[in-house]
Amino acid sequence: MQLPEAQVAVLRAADAQEDRPITELAEETTLKPETATGAAFALEEAGLVAVTEEPTERLALTAEGRRYVEAGLPEIRLYEAACEADETGAAIGAVVDAAGLDGDAVDIALANFARKGYGEIERGEVRPASDADPDEDTEAAALAALAGDEEPSEGPFERLAERGLVTRREETRRLVGLTDEGVTALMSGVEAADRVDRLTPELLTSGEWRDVDFAEYNVAAEAPAVQAGRKHPLRQMADRVKNVFVGMGFEEMQGPAVDADFWIHDCLFMPQDHPARTHWDRFALSEPESIDELPPELVERVRTAHRDGVGPDGEGYRSPWDEAFAARLALRGHTTSLTARHLAGEALGDLEPPQRWFSVQKAYRNDELDATHLLEFYQIEGWVMAEELSVRDLMGTFTEFYRQFGITDLEFKPTYNPYTEPSFELFGRHPETGERIEIGNSGLFRPEMLEPLGVEADVMAWGLALERLMMLATGAEDIRDVHGTLVDLEYLRTEEVLY
Amino acid sequence: MPVINVDPDELRELTGQRLDDDELLADLFELGVEYEGTAEDGAFKLEFEPDRLDWLSVEGLARALRYNYGEARGVYVPDTNDAEWTIEVVDTPPERPYVTGAVVRGLDLSTTALASLIQLQEKLHATMGRARGKGAIGVHDLTMLKGVPATDRDDGRGKSLTYTSMDPDDERFVPLESNAEFTPREVVERHHIGTEYADLVADLPRYPAIYDDIGLFSFPPVVNGRRTEVTTDSRDLLVEMTGTDQWTIDRMLNVVCYALSARGGQIERVDVQYDPTAPGEHAGDTLDRPNLETKQKTVAHDRVESVLGRTFDRETVVDCLERSGLSVADTDDNPDSYEVSVPPYRVDVLHPIDVIDDIGRAYGFNDLGPRYPDVSTVGGRHERSRLEDATRETLVGLGFEDLLNFHLTSERELFERMRLTPENDAVGGSRPVTIREPYSAAYTVVRTWALPSIVQVLENNTHRPYPQHLAEVGMVAARDETENTGVAEHRTVAGVLADPEASYEDARARLQALVRAFDAGLETPPTAHPSFIDGRSGSVVVDGESAGVVGELHPAVLVEHDLELPVAAFEFRLDALQ
Repeated sequence: MQLPEAQVAVLRAADAQEDRPITELAEETTLKPETATGAAFALEEAGLVAVTEEPTERLALTAEGRRYVEAGLPEIRLYEAACEADETGAAIGAVVDAAGLDGDAVDIALANFARKGYGEIERGEVRPASDADPDEDTEAAALAALAGDEEPSEGPFERLAERGLVTRREETRRLVGLTDEGVTALMSGVEAADRVDRLTPELLTSGEWRDVDFAEYNVAAEAPAVQAGRKHPLRQMADRVKNVFVGMGFEEMQGPAVDADFWIHDCLFMPQDHPARTHWDRFALSEPESIDELPPELVERVRTAHRDGVGPDGEGYRSPWDEAFAARLALRGHTTSLTARHLAGEALGDLEPPQRWFSVQKAYRNDELDATHLLEFYQIEGWVMAEELSVRDLMGTFTEFYRQFGITDLEFKPTYNPYTEPSFELFGRHPETGERIEIGNSGLFRPEMLEPLGVEADVMAWGLALERLMMLATGAEDIRDVHGTLVDLEYLRTEEVLY
Repeated sequence: MPVINVDPDELRELTGQRLDDDELLADLFELGVEYEGTAEDGAFKLEFEPDRLDWLSVEGLARALRYNYGEARGVYVPDTNDAEWTIEVVDTPPERPYVTGAVVRGLDLSTTALASLIQLQEKLHATMGRARGKGAIGVHDLTMLKGVPATDRDDGRGKSLTYTSMDPDDERFVPLESNAEFTPREVVERHHIGTEYADLVADLPRYPAIYDDIGLFSFPPVVNGRRTEVTTDSRDLLVEMTGTDQWTIDRMLNVVCYALSARGGQIERVDVQYDPTAPGEHAGDTLDRPNLETKQKTVAHDRVESVLGRTFDRETVVDCLERSGLSVADTDDNPDSYEVSVPPYRVDVLHPIDVIDDIGRAYGFNDLGPRYPDVSTVGGRHERSRLEDATRETLVGLGFEDLLNFHLTSERELFERMRLTPENDAVGGSRPVTIREPYSAAYTVVRTWALPSIVQVLENNTHRPYPQHLAEVGMVAARDETENTGVAEHRTVAGVLADPEASYEDARARLQALVRAFDAGLETPPTAHPSFIDGRSGSVVVDGESAGVVGELHPAVLVEHDLELPVAAFEFRLDALQ
């Protein structure tokens, strides 16, 4: 039979006739007591030894007791000092001084001096007994014995306990005895098993794992780096935003990145000569140039709204409106083009209130690249349609949305957007710098936008850049090198996970 | 958005309130004006929205604050004196047919007041004037002008100017900020202001011009003559505007008149007399300018309450309207609505909703209090977005690091550096969507495939530890005549294994694990693709449909991207997994 080394040693040291304490076996086998104990239990598991437990009482010296072992019991020191001074009697004060006693020790010495027959104290004098012999003092002997290695079997322990010089401790002593199987195993031969580094399939299938000894590892050491696959940090943030939207009852929109200006701007009541529609900001396409077809009735309604406004005393813009200009294609500058397509019924057919929709998709700005401006960014867009909505509903919705990202101090600054009224810029505090920064733009869609699209209910909407929300939610201050081919893999590999 | 510099002390003086800076800025924030910092001379830099052009001067801003504090109430229209001057309009360039004007007398312009006027002019040009194209302002010292005596007036006081056109080479004058005479063509070719606005007149055979009895004094929309330059000594001004739309320049004029009136100027009307042969829609008309008529909007009380989300009594609404500088007519006959007069400088009010916005600002939107709407809907993700996500999760599970690249790139990256020629059948070889006027040569087209972007990431990270297993699920687009937009957009799945040991089999192994995770069948019959090594590339066929390519990248592609180890790669359409 093969057994781990420690078990072999314990088995060999155990006796069939006599149960031996594990401490004794450990000493004999030079194993650490805990190793020997572990081995004994493993052997018991295998039925080779029996481990019995025996409650024992152990005596131990108290701090005071230990002191007396060194310096001698006070009564003995008093006796010896008295003998030295004068056998017929000496003043207590002088003897106590000579014995080097003070404080409580004086009372202890005097009380036990008489009790143990070391002499008498009369009229302020100490008279040592001539027949007393400190060497015969059983209390001193018991203390000395306890201080030594051997535990004395008898002695005036009750008295010493009363004096507070020894304590009693309950302990469990484990005794190991060889079973019949153990004897049989020993007779048929036991040898120490190999130490192995790795657990191999062979060890497992052959059952040899039972007989091997695993080399110990340094489990505290740092391990080599692992190259893990992980989602891009901006994707993680997008996922979080999408989860918040879905949790708030919003459905996700999809739609084209390349779209006609009609859907990007004209349906939003943006005049065709609006500065945002100049070629410097937008990504107009040279190929292809224009959309094949726009819904003709909607085109007429939008044209009329631009020219004359809507409602009995509405006014339009004093700007030219040209369908060919509206048909021109561009990479969308905002994802509100998706909202326009949904509201018009172009994406999914007519939508009846109530509705909540969102998207987290790319928008494009033809602008110079710098630390905070990318040509492409993710726009978060959300809108709510209901029979009646107020600016308070808008503020309530956004307060809840931003609270999900730890932004609780929203402020609403009235602002101007061509397609919303009232309109608000949303401001929050940067978690690191405390600066007040803009974190979104919002409003109720204007009647000049909704009426041509055939929407009779109220619609409120808001938008912000995902990158900006990420900066605010994580405290980051720079969005460079996050997005695009210049990304540093080190960043992707070490950036904290978002959830 | 326009930023103007406002001297806080001057604003306090015009407002008549003793407010400290913080109180002033808090009140401005509530109005929608954002503090952007303080200039070197102590002026506040304030950012405005482009709707309230009447706030683009310290005078306009002070007016808004005075209204907000209840110091002023209701519509204010300054008195005007009868016209002495006429602008005759004849032979104007058809591209710029309209003109308007006013005279303002009795001004005492300090240096800051003059600076504020110049700033207002610039900001109006930048916004409503569409960079001077739609409307351009000229302000002149009236005493330097000599009117042509009017023949058709009996009081003998009439004086006229002429808005007309001129031959670019057959006229000379001294423009502003110059001592020399220029012809108009020389102005647009050489003068530092002229070159800036040269585009506005580049295509005109004859240039716009304004003459008095002495001669040419203004070359709109480019530059005024030096003769009539306004200084702090100027007391009487002529304000003229030319443009492509009469309504727009009339409104710009109103904004300037209100600002000068707030400075103590007295407005005097001007007759604008269009010759019957003049181009544009006013031929034969005489317009009395400035047109300071108010306009009316009917605002329903119900709508005020539904938009602002609470009930209001009539007094509160009227108070808010009056503190917005609007007036309410006595409408006892209709208690459910308000007949609101809107002053002539308000170019932003198109619809009653704009008046309700004013009520909200005057009441204080932040005082209304948020309320979560009692509207229940069911949320959910779009199917394709869930598919994209599941694919990304599977790739990450296979050990890929997820990338997020730009959609915009260049033909060099898409084709040349990948050994691909555009317009062939190979994956990525479709005709790309191209940008008309790109800022940078690095971003001129929308990517037709994603592998080039991923290989660029490898190129930029050769100093980082290998293996580099990178993948992306994202949009690509190509020309497609069958689509309404002429563009087919789809999502692509691309991955690379950059690893000293990487081989075709490693890419095939991951690809098949991915495809089979979606319960689809994968075949990879041999194919030839210029970006890959011949004999080591296969077509990705998912459930019988050809959807992409897999293989070992061609050594020439690797060397081109400074890569010194093999790269196995794949790319296919996401919808193949559907």
